[in-house]
This record gives sequence, structure tokens and C-alpha cells, in this order.
Amino acid sequence: MTTATMDEPARDAKAPGPRGSQRRGTTPLQSLRRSWDKHWYAWAMVAPVVIVIAVLVLYPLCYGLYLSFTNANERNVAQNIGPIHIGATYDFVGLHNYWQILSGRDGDFYPRLEWTVIWTVSCVALTYAIGLAMAMLLNRPVRFRLFYRLALILPWAVPAFIGVFAWRLMFNSQYGVFNDIITKVGLPAQDWLGTPFAQKIAVILVNIWCGVPFMMVALLGGLQAIPNELYEAAEMDGATPLQRFFNVTVPGLRPVTNTVILLSTVWTFNMFPIIYLLLGNNTTGDTDILVTHAYEMAFSGGAADYAGSATYGIVILMILVAFSTFYRRQLKTQD
Amino acid sequence: MSTTTERGSAAVPVVPRAARGAARRRVRGRAERSTGASIALHATLLVASAIAVFPVLWILFISLGPSTAWQQPNEVLHHLGLGNYRFVLLHSHFPRWFLNSVIVAAATTVLGVLVSASAGYAVSRMRFPGHRPLMWTFLVTQMFPMAVLIVPLYNLLVQLDLLDTYIGLVLVYCTISVPFCAWMLKGYFDTIPREIDEAGRVDGLTPFGTFWRLVMPLAKPGLAVTAFFSFLTAWGEVAYSNQFMRDPHTTLAVGIRTFAADQRADWGSMTAASVVIAIPAAIVFMLVQKHLVTGLTAGGTKG
Amino acid sequence: MRRGISAVAMAAAIVLGVTACGGGSGSSKSDSGKAKDPASVSGTITYWDTSDAKNEAPTYQALVKDFEAKYPKIKVNYQNVDFGTVEQKFKAAAQSGKGAPDVVRTDVGLIPEYASLHYIAPLDGTSALQDTGDFMSGPMNTTKYDGKTYGVPSVTDTLGLLYNKEIFAKAGISSPPKTWDELIADSATIKQKVPGVAGTYVNPDSYFLFPVLFGEGADLADPAAKKVTVNSPEAVKAVTEAKKIYDTSSLKVDFASAYDNMQTSFKTGKVAMLVQGPWSVGDDLTGSAFQGAKESNLGYAPVPAGSSGKALAPTGGHDLAVYQGSKNLDAAYLFTQFMTSSSSQQQIALKNGTLPTRTSAYTPEVLKNGTIAGFKPIMDTARPRVALPQVGSLFTPLQQQYIKILQGQTSVQAGLDAAAKEFGKLLPGYTVQ
Repeated sequence: MTTATMDEPARDAKAPGPRGSQRRGTTPLQSLRRSWDKHWYAWAMVAPVVIVIAVLVLYPLCYGLYLSFTNANERNVAQNIGPIHIGATYDFVGLHNYWQILSGRDGDFYPRLEWTVIWTVSCVALTYAIGLAMAMLLNRPVRFRLFYRLALILPWAVPAFIGVFAWRLMFNSQYGVFNDIITKVGLPAQDWLGTPFAQKIAVILVNIWCGVPFMMVALLGGLQAIPNELYEAAEMDGATPLQRFFNVTVPGLRPVTNTVILLSTVWTFNMFPIIYLLLGNNTTGDTDILVTHAYEMAFSGGAADYAGSATYGIVILMILVAFSTFYRRQLKTQD
Repeated sequence: MSTTTERGSAAVPVVPRAARGAARRRVRGRAERSTGASIALHATLLVASAIAVFPVLWILFISLGPSTAWQQPNEVLHHLGLGNYRFVLLHSHFPRWFLNSVIVAAATTVLGVLVSASAGYAVSRMRFPGHRPLMWTFLVTQMFPMAVLIVPLYNLLVQLDLLDTYIGLVLVYCTISVPFCAWMLKGYFDTIPREIDEAGRVDGLTPFGTFWRLVMPLAKPGLAVTAFFSFLTAWGEVAYSNQFMRDPHTTLAVGIRTFAADQRADWGSMTAASVVIAIPAAIVFMLVQKHLVTGLTAGGTKG
Repeated sequence: MRRGISAVAMAAAIVLGVTACGGGSGSSKSDSGKAKDPASVSGTITYWDTSDAKNEAPTYQALVKDFEAKYPKIKVNYQNVDFGTVEQKFKAAAQSGKGAPDVVRTDVGLIPEYASLHYIAPLDGTSALQDTGDFMSGPMNTTKYDGKTYGVPSVTDTLGLLYNKEIFAKAGISSPPKTWDELIADSATIKQKVPGVAGTYVNPDSYFLFPVLFGEGADLADPAAKKVTVNSPEAVKAVTEAKKIYDTSSLKVDFASAYDNMQTSFKTGKVAMLVQGPWSVGDDLTGSAFQGAKESNLGYAPVPAGSSGKALAPTGGHDLAVYQGSKNLDAAYLFTQFMTSSSSQQQIALKNGTLPTRTSAYTPEVLKNGTIAGFKPIMDTARPRVALPQVGSLFTPLQQQYIKILQGQTSVQAGLDAAAKEFGKLLPGYTVQ
């Protein structure tokens, strides 16, 4: 990271080192100085971001990592209650928390992980498929195109909690509009959010509703960036629409696809507000994803387990880092 | 693929007539379709649009009824009125929450866009030690569920004397929005020809001057997307705001929870408040929507 | 950063054997509470109110004004905080010493938790507690932890059986059910004689399971024996009964919107009776079944009894607690005293229809209020919950298993065993059977 080197050499920034000395043996200080002279401008431009992120994210993150090796909970951490100071009394427990989770002893990790993966994969895949379909429909000369585009992007402009609130009202089995409609048609009323299985389908649906606009907009731009000549050439060669899709559209979209899939996987994996807001408190716990579970540990009244929730956080981070590393490597070999 | 910038948000490029004619004789081209296909296309788009818009319209519809309208939607049309709005706007703290949210969201947008543009530009144009890990770190910061550390974060804000201040909340929101924005903008800057920077240098501009005077104006679509993203992040966030802010600095998303109190949820006020909350988001959306497509893609492609 | 958590401080703590318990609680707080002349107290204090912002808060705000008029040197910064998130918000603020209120309105169930974490101050001997003999014993008990008093009772409540007299008359039922079995039988009669109306609506929130548990003599845990009792034979019997009520007598429960649908169904006459608390009555009276002149259609009864023969329900309500780190304890004590005085309680009762905690506040005028008159006798059935610091954390696992049991995904025994196992993790030193 650049943070460590940024501020210190500022004092002697005006002394440029001789360029030629680069190849000769130099002290670390000299090379640092030279590096500073060359790059201080770039560093200065990234400094605001780096400082904010370092202080408000990286520092707490390291602190979370530290907590994950302890047995800290709300009863043994230090307290500064006004004039009263109570020292911390928790201990280091090494890898105990990780062992608890990864060995499956806590009984929650693997079931939650399984559902988290299903949730992430289905949300990302369906959102991508629908987003791509919509983008392709909009990427043609269509009447009322602007209207369609505005309508389809609308869910993005609505804060998530409002969208979810609307769905919750509509899903209500007794007073919701969906059951009003289908009973008018003569179908039996459904308990949309009744069983854990129905709840899972519902949260995926709502998440897709929230996520499609972003996907669609990104892919629409990707489609527009594919040079028309490629399509023309394919048409000349007599390619069917399906062939054109697989030979021109899919490869042409690859750069956008790679990015949006990576981003939405990371976001969906940790997307807990939608589940929580749609289903409320009366659940069996089967619909909790890993993040929800981590929150529960961090906030359960009177027994908040800071170490346990931090460990979950770190494990989630590891899973996602592993995924994105693997994903990017896979992409590189493809190219 | 860098042609996106030039094309801007223009409509889909029109295929030259000659090419279309040539294509028609062989297989069906992209730009034409039968009436049946047209109907299918419009039908699909209409259904999709209806699904996208319906929940929002439903809230709007319910909000115009009596406060119990959610239980009997059929009654709404017979009792149309603005009672819910009257209560929300005149008899609750809603206006104050609204003001707080506007301040926080606007500041997050401006600050977020500025710092992420500057960082994105540096990473796009300058090869400095740390530029690679920097982008990687940005992505990693999105992977850790920060809210499990809300208590340490609270203590940190106390230490920095930022508790219950607008700037504290704005900085916290920037940590959510800036990584994505910087990533996007870096990609966008990559699509802007480097010759522009060189021209700036010839004219004697500093790198920052080049960035500020020449590159920023060209990056409007990218900036629009990041502005939109930052705004929405700040506008709809609940957990941090709830924890870090106190009356009278409460933001909207937290404030309206008092309408949905556990024991006696007032869904009428909640729907009216939701509609009013959605309006500024919609305005920002309308302002930037024409840039969304280009902005997001360039960033995505090159990121 | 949190100061004490540096490695050095931690090492010191371990070496010196400093423990978090005991030491801090009373030693450094100003002990001037009683001695000081109230008129000389000055400064600003913050009060977190958790009452319903629309319907109840105005009464409390008016009382705050009265307080400021009585003590012109003290200014009160009134803040309404969402009841659902106040615990988390208060705890984060309390442990850091910054951003916490001086006085907080606290659910009675949270007192042991806050007290055991040293967040709230013991009030024995301070000016906050006055005329303690006047307080009803049920609410007063909720303020006790470890032999000290950590709160002053402000309002109280318990669960009762609310019923729709008109529906009962139509079904030919003369009196509300006295036992859970009678409730099931009455529901069957109602279902048969009054078409389209269900007997009850089961609230799947585990708090509403307490009357059934208590009715069989069961509870979540036994602190004296250090035992988790949620899967005891009595508890299994109780939950089996609850499941039977759900299966036979309840309108179909929508788990995601249970509370809203329950209230709406009851107040529009689709459900004949509900296990509910006095807080819900204001809402009930806005519905077509109980509106305006039909207010007397709402009947109040104690919760049905279990096989133990006794009708029992948990004591709820709110206490006022004082933050131990308050910079102005004297003003906080005075404010707490003022807000819980008999005259303040009468005012709250008259305006909000909530039940006072002082016997002297049940004046003839207060008793004219239908809710208060209806619930006053029911308060005799109220009994305290286990006063465990971790009691808040027990609700989530219990609730999850309870819902699984209701939905038939697991048997009563297996579900309660699973809950007991989770309880064991949350209650160190407790044995699980």
C-alpha cells in the first residue's frame, strides 16, 4: 500500500535524485526519495481516497481481524462509561473461532453458506440474463424507446427499502394486491411469504427486481460499444440471429460481462437488507445468509459476540477474495 | 471499443441503407422485423416495464387513500385524498429529516465524485508504485460486511470527534461509494485519448490542471454515473445513519421508521413518505439518465 | 480506537486480574443524589423517548415542558428514538461514553442487560426514587437486578385476552374462555356459527408464547438451578398446546406481516379474540368493529390458564433508567423522579391510555379510560420474566424454532431441544438437558 510511504518523505521533496543513479546501488532512503520525486503527484491525487479508506475501512477491518483471534464479546471488552473505565478482559484464542466455523461445529456455517451460494448464483445469473435480454430489446430502433428505458431503470432510482416495502405490501397473503388479483381470476390465494421455500423465491425475485436496471444499463452500453461492422460482416456471411448472438454479441460483451458479474457477485453475497426487510423477524432462520448470521451474532441482546461476528466477516472476505482471484485468473487464461 | 465516448448517448447507430438491403436478401438482419416480431417485442417490453414500475405506482396509489388503504385497496378510489401527505409534511419531523438527507446526500455526491475522480485519474494516467494494489484494495473493501464492526466504528467516530456530524456520516458514506466510483471513473478515463493530456502539458498545465480543465469536462457521462451512485448510497442508507446520528440530525431513511413503529405501524404515512423520498432520487435520475449508459459501460469495460 | 483494547491494556488486565464486574459500578459516580437541593441543580440533559412518535410522544413532550417550567435551570433535550433499534443504539453509545442520553426509556426486559453491563446507574438512595411504596409490586420488580434498583417504573402492561363481544354473542358464548382448551372449543363454535370469522390469530412472535408457557409452569431458564428449561416436559406440553391452537383455531397466519394482519383482522371483525397487550387497544378502536360508539364491543379478560389452573402473563412496560456515565446525574435523577411521579403518570394515562405503575395514579378519572379499566384487573395475572442479562438474545433462537414447529417442519420436542441447545451457547454455565 502507498499509505505508509506517502507522508514521511515530504520534507525533502525538492531534492531530486540524479536520474542515472537508478541502476547503481542506492540506499533505501535514496530510492524512496527518488520514488517520491517521481510519483508524489500521483500519490497526492489518490491521497484523499486512501486516507479516508485507510482510516474508516482498513483500520476497522484490521481491528476486526484482531478481534477474530480473541473471545471478545460485549461483556469483556473495555468500557468507557463516562467517568467509569472498565478494562478489557478478553483473551487470545488463536484460531479457535475459525476452527469452530470451518469444522462445522457451530452448526450454522455450512447451511448458511449453502443458501448464500444458491442465493448469489441465482440472483446474479437471473439478473444478468434478464438484464441482457432487456438490453438487447432496447438496443434496436423501437418506438417509445425512451419510455421503456426510463420505466425499466426506475427500480434503480428508488431507494431499496421503499421498493422492498412495496413488495411486502403486495405479497401480503390477506390484504395484498397479488392475491386480490389472482382470486378475482378464480385461482386460490397464495401464501407468498409462507414457507421458507416460498420466502427464498420471493427474496430472489425482489432482489432481481432491484438489480436488473444496473445490469441492463451496463450491458446496453456494452452492446452499443460493439462495432456495427461486425454484425454487418456476420450478416453478409449469412449468420442466423442465434449465430450472431454467440459469435458477435457474446464476445463483444465480454469485458462488460466480466466486470458486472464480479461486482454483482460481491454485492449480492453481502446483500442483507432485502432479505431482512422483506421477511421481517418471523422467520425460521433458513433464509438467513452468512452476513445476516454475522449481524445476529454482533447484535444479539446481552450476548453480542464480537469475536464470532468478526470471524464470520473475515471468512466472508476470504471467500470473496478467493472467488475474485480465481475469477480474474480464469479470465486471464481465457484471453 | 473506445468509440463509446464519441457516440455519447446518441440513439442506436443506423445501419447504412445499402447494407440493410444487402442483408435482407440473405437472412433477416438486425434492424428489421416482421409485424409479429414487433408485437412480441413491444409486448415483452411492456410487461417488463409494468413489472418494473408497478410496485412504485402501487405505493403512490395507496398513499392517496386513507391511512388504512393498504388493507382495502378497493376503497382508495372512493376516498382519494392527500391526508397522508398532509400529516407527513406538516405534522411530523419529515421536512427536517428531508433537509438532513439532502445535505448529506449532496455532500456525499460532491465529495465522493471529486475524490474518486482524482484517484481514478491518477490510476488511469500515472504509473506509480501502488496503483495496482490500490484498485484491488478498492474491490476488497466492498467484500467485508462492515456493519458487524459498527461498535468499533462508532468508537472511531467518537475519537475523531465526528459523531452526530454531517461530515462524519458523509465520510462513512464515501467509504461505501468511492471504491466503486473510482473504479468506474478509472475505466472511463482510460477511454479518453491520452493526446488530450499531452496537449495540456504542451500548454503548460500541471497534471492536476490537465485533469481539472481538460479531462473532467470530457468525462461527464462517467461523472454522472458516479454521482447517481453516490447519491443513492447516501439517500437510502439506514444502519450507519441510525447509529451515528441523533435528533435533529436524523436522516430520512431513519426518521420514517418511526412511522412504522413496532406496535402500531402507520403504513399510510409510510407510503406518502416513500413517495416524497423517491422524488429527489427520481430528479437526480432524470438529470443523469442520458449519461448512464455510456458512463457505466466505459467504466465497466475498462475497469 | 477503543482505548482499553490495546494489547498493553489487555496484558495489564490479565496480569492484574482486573475483572469487569463489580469494581466500576458505584465507586466513581457522584453520590450527591439525595443531598443536593433540587432548586440548585442546573444544566442540560438528554432524554431518549421510545414511545409511539405519532400517538404517544406529544404527551411526553408536554411533560418535558412542565419539567423545564418547574426547574428553569435544567434544559431537557428530548429525542424520540425508534423502539426497535434503541437497544443497539444505546449500547453503542453507552460503552463509548459519548452520544448516550442521560435518561432513557427502557423496555422492562432490558434492565438486567443494561445493569449487568454497568450502563445504567443504581438508583437506590437517589432522588430518582420517591415514594417507592406507592409503586405496584409487579412493575417495581422489573427494576431490580442483583439486589439493586436500576430503573423507575413508568408504564406497565401485560398480555390479556381481547375479544369481540358481538361475535361472542352471535356464537352464543356467554363468557371469554378461561383455559386454552376452552379457547379452542370456543373457536370451533365461532367458526361454525359465525361464518367467515376465525376464533383467534396466533402471533408467531415468541413473546406471545409466554402466557402458554407460564400456564404450564414452564419458563425459558431457571437461574437458581442454572438450567435451561425451555425443553422441559412442561414447556413441551405448552408448545404442543400452542401448536394445537395454531392448527385449529387461528386464522391463517402470514408470517411476514403477522402483527399487521392480526391487528387488522381483529379490528375489522374477522377474528373473535386475541392475546394482546393494552398498547394495541388504541389501534383496535380505529377499526370498524370497535370504532366510536362500538368501543364497548371490546371485551377484556385475563389470558386463558393452562393445566396449572393459573392464568399468567409476562409483565411488560417501560422503566426510566439513568445512564451511569451521565455528566449531570443530579438533573437526570430529578427528571426521572418528575416523569414517574403520580401526577405525571396520571397525565400519561389520561392522554395515552397506558397503565400507570403507581397505585395512587389509578384515580377515578384515570379509571374512566376503557383500556385502563379493562386491563387493571388483568395486571394481577402478570408475573416477571427471568431476569437474565442475556434474555434478549434468547428470543431469536426460540422464535425460529417456534415458527418451525408451527409450520410443521419439526416436532415440538425436536424444536425445543434445538432451541435449548442454542440457549446453552448463550448462557455460559447453564446445563442443557
